[in-house]
Amino acid sequence: MKTSLRDITVFSWGALSGYPTRTILMLTAMAIGVASVIMLTALGEGARRYVSNEFSSLGTNLVIVFPGYSETSGLNSVAMVGTTPRDLTLDDAQALTRNLNIRRIAPINIGSINASFQGRSREVPIIGSNAELLNIRHWQLAQGHFLPAGDLDRATPVCVIGRNIKDQLFAAQAALGQWIRLGDRRFRVIGIMASTGRSIGVDVQDTIIIPVASAQQLFNSASLFRILLEVKTRSAIESVKQSTIELLKERHQGKRDVTVITQDAVLKTFDRILGALTYAIGGIAAISLAVAGILIMNVMLVAVSQRTAEIGLLKALGAPSRQIVYLILFEAIMLSIFGAVLGVLLGELGCFAIRLVFPALPAYSPLWAVLTAVAVSLLAGFIFSLLPAQQAARLNPVLALTGK
Amino acid sequence: MQLRDLLHLTTSSLIAHRLRSFLSALGIAVGVAAVVLLTSIGEGVHQFVLAEFTQFGTNLVAINPGKATTSGISMGVFGTERPLTVEDAQALKRLPYARAVVAVVQGNAEVEAGNRSRRTTIYGAGSQMPEAFQMSVKSGRFLPDDDPTAPRAFAVLGSKLKYELFDDLNPLGQRITVGGNRFRIIGVMASKGNVLGFDLDDTVFIPASRALSLFNRDSLHEVDLLYDGSISVETVVAGIEKILAERHGKDDVTITSQQQMLEVLGSVLNVLTFAVGAIGGISLLVGAIGIVTIMTISVNERISEIGLIRALGTRRSQVLSLFLGEAIILSAVGGLAGLGLGIGIAQLLHLSLPALPVHTSWNFVILAEVIAISIGLIAGVLPARRAARLNPVEALRAE
Repeated sequence: MKTSLRDITVFSWGALSGYPTRTILMLTAMAIGVASVIMLTALGEGARRYVSNEFSSLGTNLVIVFPGYSETSGLNSVAMVGTTPRDLTLDDAQALTRNLNIRRIAPINIGSINASFQGRSREVPIIGSNAELLNIRHWQLAQGHFLPAGDLDRATPVCVIGRNIKDQLFAAQAALGQWIRLGDRRFRVIGIMASTGRSIGVDVQDTIIIPVASAQQLFNSASLFRILLEVKTRSAIESVKQSTIELLKERHQGKRDVTVITQDAVLKTFDRILGALTYAIGGIAAISLAVAGILIMNVMLVAVSQRTAEIGLLKALGAPSRQIVYLILFEAIMLSIFGAVLGVLLGELGCFAIRLVFPALPAYSPLWAVLTAVAVSLLAGFIFSLLPAQQAARLNPVLALTGK
Repeated sequence: MQLRDLLHLTTSSLIAHRLRSFLSALGIAVGVAAVVLLTSIGEGVHQFVLAEFTQFGTNLVAINPGKATTSGISMGVFGTERPLTVEDAQALKRLPYARAVVAVVQGNAEVEAGNRSRRTTIYGAGSQMPEAFQMSVKSGRFLPDDDPTAPRAFAVLGSKLKYELFDDLNPLGQRITVGGNRFRIIGVMASKGNVLGFDLDDTVFIPASRALSLFNRDSLHEVDLLYDGSISVETVVAGIEKILAERHGKDDVTITSQQQMLEVLGSVLNVLTFAVGAIGGISLLVGAIGIVTIMTISVNERISEIGLIRALGTRRSQVLSLFLGEAIILSAVGGLAGLGLGIGIAQLLHLSLPALPVHTSWNFVILAEVIAISIGLIAGVLPARRAARLNPVEALRAE
């Protein structure tokens, strides 16, 4: 007896549809496995993209300089605080402007001080910097102007305020042109921020930005917290990093006491961490595919034992063992295919629901996750049905026909 | 039908189809193993992190300058109008329940000894630091209780820094230069190791006032206060606030208690452990579907058998018990096997990767087994009710 592919398909389909409850349950098991892999990798991928997007809004081609340097590699607590005997200074920042590969430089001081206006007051984060910071960080203004251009060491009494600060200090009043008190000094409001950006972990809407020299006076400190460098071309980033290290070493009595990192390096670290997390979660979810595979094996074994008479008849009619194997395998693979397709649909539906509930999280399952989940489920169906198929092939036709 | 008969019928039915029962239980076992293993890792990480934090003791309060914070760090550490001073720390020592008060400045500088040098972490600290942070001195002594505004130029080396600068020589009494200033070594600390990414052994400790001069700073980074455990943390915080508000004229510091940090950290780690366990639980769900499927097949195969016992007078509820019993036994056995598998793999993991903290909590073990049995109960209900509802005459005729 020669069975064509069409015959095998019809035969398998008949076998599956002959037991609807059993088939539906197996499809459900496989679908849940596939769907969970897809949804969970979508969540991981969404988190990774979210972080990438956040980083992109922080600037382009950035090199970051901060005081402190550690023999042991990695950014440790000293780098975070950045306190050193030899300060990172405005003169250092000024010296860096001579590097032709650098498009923009923004020195940064941060601190915390009490801000008040007509009886309203609150403690606010302060960012001291210069006019270049707006462009480096890709921020926008809602009203007025940003910090004035000019010499870094001019302590102009002006400030730009975040929207939340404006609401808290001025309520419904117009803020532009007003004078507010920061500590024991007065500053005139010349701009209001529009961006929903972040800098150094602070939402810009909750900060007040003043000239860096003013910040240094306010905090009685000559030291800078960071220097941000925007490099003209991506290819020049590494050379800017090296020349910056050399220049500052030269200016600091031949001692290397600063750390220079690139934005890409930090982003790569996050990318690697979140990527590993996505793989781990997807792998955990894939365990359920193995459980679904075990179920298929179990049901196929039951099917074989229930259909001994049928198989015996086929063998008696001359069907070779190999074709019996094909029949059982094909049946299992059809189950896996249907289960996988159902799982993909279910998974994508779940991702869609996640995107509706959390619009900020781009939860799209990567193609590799969908393909991997489908491939694993097919593989599970195939591998786990080998045993029942072999068992079916080994049946003795005479005994099978007698129903034993 | 007696309970003994019920057990006999149930177990003999399972044994009659050994391979089928084994595979059904295996599905549950894999699911339970996944949940147990993942929660063991999660719980292990949880305990590891908390242990790292609590090695400094739990009755600690940290005071930082400034009120505005970002990502949990006070912005005042970087710049503030009103400095947090050594005199502030001195004033806090007057609190009756303060057992140790440490002024802290942290920075980075070059340390030189003879012809060797190393850029390392500098801690400006006070004499009570070992007490506050449960650190110990290996040789010599820690910084003395000098007048904090005019301390002598003494230094204490961390164990790694001592080795880097002096190898096996005794450094006590030797002079070193820290950031261009000369200090005399009076002690070497016992190793504290790497704590959450910070190497506490690659450090040098000098008096806080001298560190402020070295770094040209007005303000301390932090004051740490170790308080008597019998006093509530709220009382301690209120006392600190009162003293500093009097000295500064307003409330301009951030006070963080160790308990606060541990609670926040603990809750975050709990969420992670449960999330990972829940993902593993997806496998259990698939295993449950396996039980439903196999029990459904089992019922179909034994229609004539059910018809016979019903004809002999067995009640519907007894037939229900019969099949439910099978499902529960399958799940319970699978659950136990899964526990063994999960715990075994966790221990193997710990043997092969000693750095990976693994801890199997009995709560999760019991929870996993209860869930497995519940799965059997829930999964078995549908086929069992179907079996119970069979009409005996029709069942017999199906032969």
